[in-house]
Amino acid sequence: MSLDPLVIALPKGRILDEAMPLVRAAGIEPEPAFDDPKSRQLTFATNHPHIRIIRVRSFDVATFVAFGAAHLGVCGNDVLMEFGYPEIYAPLDLGIGPCRLAVAEPVALSDSDDPTSWSHIRVATKYPEVTKRHFAARGVQAECIKLNGAMELAPSLGLCRRIVDLVSTGSTLKANGLVEIEHIADVTSRLIVNRAALKTRPTEMNGWIASFAEAVKQKA
Amino acid sequence: MSDTANKALLPTGLRDVLPPDAALEAVAVNRLLGVFAAHGYDRVKPPLIEFEESLLDGVGAVTTKDTFRVMDPLSQRMMGVRADMTIQVARIATTRMVRHPRPLRLCYAGQVLRVKGSQLRPERQFTQAGIELIGADTPVADAEVIGMVIRALDAVGVRDVSVDLMLPPLVPAMCDALQLSPEARRTLRDALDQKDAAAVKAMGGDVAGVFGVLLGCIGEAEEVLSRLQAMDLPAAAAQRRDTLAEVIALVREEHPAATLTIDPVEYRGFEYHTGVSFSVFSRGVSGELGRGGRYRAGEAQERAVGATLSVDAVTEAMEPLSSGPRVLLSVKDRLLAGRYQTDGWVTLNALQDPQDFAAEARRLGCSHYSVGGDLHAINDKQG
Repeated sequence: MSLDPLVIALPKGRILDEAMPLVRAAGIEPEPAFDDPKSRQLTFATNHPHIRIIRVRSFDVATFVAFGAAHLGVCGNDVLMEFGYPEIYAPLDLGIGPCRLAVAEPVALSDSDDPTSWSHIRVATKYPEVTKRHFAARGVQAECIKLNGAMELAPSLGLCRRIVDLVSTGSTLKANGLVEIEHIADVTSRLIVNRAALKTRPTEMNGWIASFAEAVKQKA
Repeated sequence: MSDTANKALLPTGLRDVLPPDAALEAVAVNRLLGVFAAHGYDRVKPPLIEFEESLLDGVGAVTTKDTFRVMDPLSQRMMGVRADMTIQVARIATTRMVRHPRPLRLCYAGQVLRVKGSQLRPERQFTQAGIELIGADTPVADAEVIGMVIRALDAVGVRDVSVDLMLPPLVPAMCDALQLSPEARRTLRDALDQKDAAAVKAMGGDVAGVFGVLLGCIGEAEEVLSRLQAMDLPAAAAQRRDTLAEVIALVREEHPAATLTIDPVEYRGFEYHTGVSFSVFSRGVSGELGRGGRYRAGEAQERAVGATLSVDAVTEAMEPLSSGPRVLLSVKDRLLAGRYQTDGWVTLNALQDPQDFAAEARRLGCSHYSVGGDLHAINDKQG
């Protein structure tokens, strides 16, 4: 096996807790500082001398892998759909972090709303590209207001009436008086691979994909 | 009125290439074309801009979105600035050089311009160098072009080259055999483009089965070939696979140590290719160095195979140039320039004799100076 450096990008937060058992089952054990919430380290050594793990935001996982700064990564297909990076392959569904990308609006509005009559709508979202594409396919022009979090606030404060966001249980929507009106896509986290890395180091990369596939199978 | 305050600002994706990069690029182009020429590929030079409909014909159609257009005030027709030179060379081969004996071997190098750079290469203008082999339809011709690319990259000192082979007509042939609807094909295409195994699996039935296996067939060439050979492919697809096997065996014969991989589902950018196609990578460079493959040239649909290297990516994988030592010549010694150059020196003529030759030589990046016919080394601090 090649001893060229290998960088794995993992997303911070909720998904990380679900991803780590798979990473470990695939035979990659990060240094102890990785599990120390107080650590401010960004890159971590592993039990393989040539492998390093970096911990970044989910959207940045895709960017690091797309540009070849990281070779492997874990990120949701919501992010992949938003960027549409041609340099990323997503060969394995890890089956973790299941949720859906959906359109939501205030309960009061949904009673009288007729989505078929829309020609233009304004939407607050972290996913402007997916949103525009989704509505364009239906002949509706979507004007997107890009927010990085707390989308649910937008309707109540009059920023706009509709949002496109990730929904897992629906309890956040409910707490903010919103209701889901359209389903855009199902989301799970994927193992992603940089295209050039897969082509220039095929045996090694396929080996890791197989190890993760085995880990997913063991878990199921 | 422009809001551009600074004259140095260039439009997005355009840049000035400075020393020593500009020289490195020129050297790369010369060496690549030298290898092509040595194998009987004759150089052609199409214009920078031509009528849109010839530029976007056939394989040129993939560059439709990338092409800058301008109206020709003389003919009142739309012209396009070339975004790729392959189609131009194919046009030359099938029109003005139609009487030349086949197989026709042509090579070229030049600048292309694109509306938008790619994610990895935001440059909108870059240099291409390539070859086209027109009027041949044998695996030997495919292998010659792939071999030429490996050879040319070796000549410019690019190491760890790997060639990823693909078969753009394979997936359509298998879709035909499964009688998929246009809509199902599109969904499948998107999933395969991203190598999204989950989305392929979600399609269910035969599609999920067959393409699920194909998705797993990405990697080292001989290994993938044996797996493809074990698959029960429809006749049209099986024939493609056997051609690919032949091409790989031929390339191997010539380049036993080359890294060859196969990706049977790769398609993006190869929509108009009609047979074995390939992308070229090198470890340490994040994007493709070049690509090529089999297509039909011109209105006569002549069989052709070609390859285009992106010289910008190639230079990224090259060692920096080592130029000869530089010597500063006094006004009188300028007459000795030829002699110094023969000995491998780069000479700089002093335009007036300085007070302190050593200081002046150092300021101009010279390691030596020559006064009265005598060569002096300047005593640099590092010795």
